[in-house]
Amino acid sequence: MRGSVKLFSVVGGFVLWHVLAVHVVNDTALLVSPVVVVLKGYDMLFVTADLYPHLYASASIFFQGMLIATVVGVPLGFVMALNPIMRDYLTPWMTALYTTPRIAFAPVILLWFGVDLASKVIIVFLGCVFPILINSFYGMRVVSREFVDVGRSFRLSAGRLFLKILLPASVPFILAGLRLAVGRGLTGVAIAEWFGAREGLGFLIFFAGQTLNIPTLFVGVSVFAILGILGFQLLKVIEDLATPWKKELPAK
Amino acid sequence: MAASVLEVRNLTKEVPTGGGEPFVIFKDINLSVKEGEFVSIVGPSGCGKTTLLRVINGLLPPSGGQIFIDGKEQTGVDRELVMGFVFQGASLLPWRTSLKNVLLGVEGRKPSREAEETARRYLNLVGLSGFERHYPHQLSGGMQQRVNLARALVVDPRILLMDEPFAALDAQTRTFMQLELLRIWSETKKTVIFITHMISEAILLSDRVIVFSHRPGRVRSEFAVPLARPRNLDIKSDQRFVELENKVWKQIEEEVKAAAGFSQL
Repeated sequence: MRGSVKLFSVVGGFVLWHVLAVHVVNDTALLVSPVVVVLKGYDMLFVTADLYPHLYASASIFFQGMLIATVVGVPLGFVMALNPIMRDYLTPWMTALYTTPRIAFAPVILLWFGVDLASKVIIVFLGCVFPILINSFYGMRVVSREFVDVGRSFRLSAGRLFLKILLPASVPFILAGLRLAVGRGLTGVAIAEWFGAREGLGFLIFFAGQTLNIPTLFVGVSVFAILGILGFQLLKVIEDLATPWKKELPAK
Repeated sequence: MAASVLEVRNLTKEVPTGGGEPFVIFKDINLSVKEGEFVSIVGPSGCGKTTLLRVINGLLPPSGGQIFIDGKEQTGVDRELVMGFVFQGASLLPWRTSLKNVLLGVEGRKPSREAEETARRYLNLVGLSGFERHYPHQLSGGMQQRVNLARALVVDPRILLMDEPFAALDAQTRTFMQLELLRIWSETKKTVIFITHMISEAILLSDRVIVFSHRPGRVRSEFAVPLARPRNLDIKSDQRFVELENKVWKQIEEEVKAAAGFSQL
């Protein structure tokens, strides 16, 4: 039942798009039918094969940015949660960095690090790191006092208390942070490739927009959407594997 | 007469309130529990029973007074796990199966095979053989509290501190769990301090019932339970059971009324 609602929603959305493009807007310089986008996508994947370098470039900076954000964000979130002095010390900077629009940093980073891989990865990293950090922080902060007391009643050392109680209790929050980071990371990819890149999906979209190549523009946007969905689903699978005790909870 | 395994002298717990008088949770508690004795503490809500148990276990520091185990004063927490704590409500770790929850206290302290055997033995003792791989949410409330009890027993503590372990259970399950606890207690011979709101539960289970005053909690009175063991539900209709229940209830009623009067000032 719920699966069929999803299917109806997706199919209905595409039909609406098609009707709008062909019968309402009727101007291929503004909007093209999804059929045209799918054909163009097929062409770029299997005929001219010119999508791959862009896909590869974007995926590469995305994964590197996500990886570094996870490696930095999770421990930093933990440290801020567990150490009040570090928390007070870092909070003003974190708040400032988090609330500043990332796009404002992009030109500065490009100026400092040049138009190569490093600056793009840094822009993606800045997008991903905060949801991961903030979720890791809260995950560790909201661990039930009862669970901590259970550990303490068994006289677990600080290290064991962390490994056996605090860390597993935080895992669902960290994974939720990673899922939020997927969307922000892809935004980071688009921003990074907007400024002076020679390849990548962001560049593809930017260039197609400049040259009024609407089908290619939509292919680029669609690939972004598909990557986002795939990343989201992949993390859902990881979440189910990492938290088997939640899987069997009755769906609400 | 057996020597007291746990003794509490003038134990006081207060928490600071920004600037003003500290908030006194309980004051000058004196308590002595003999080896193998089952002692219940009853009292009105908010009288500091749970906090007392936490202080005795070292989860909270006392503000004054002393705690002795086997006549030796406790400074800091006991590393030897003399005490096991049965928490109220949902304190099982949801990411661990029953077996792994029970293992928590012994893993790393014993070789893993031995630890697992011990954990299985205690799950069996509480009647949960066959549920080793179930997660807490897959168990009923009564079963969860059985796991909770097994988890505290697995380190073979001499003293078992039980903080209203059956409070969240329905009346029928609660009665069954009381009988189960009587059986497990007779098999394990632990010294037990049991906190409850339910007077009949305290009398059914205990050798001695201690009545707490309203906050700040003090020991108001003590009653030895003059009923032979092994016990079953029949003793609830025993004249002595009924009399004791009434006597304890009268005192708690007074305390509750005094507390309400106090809060209306």
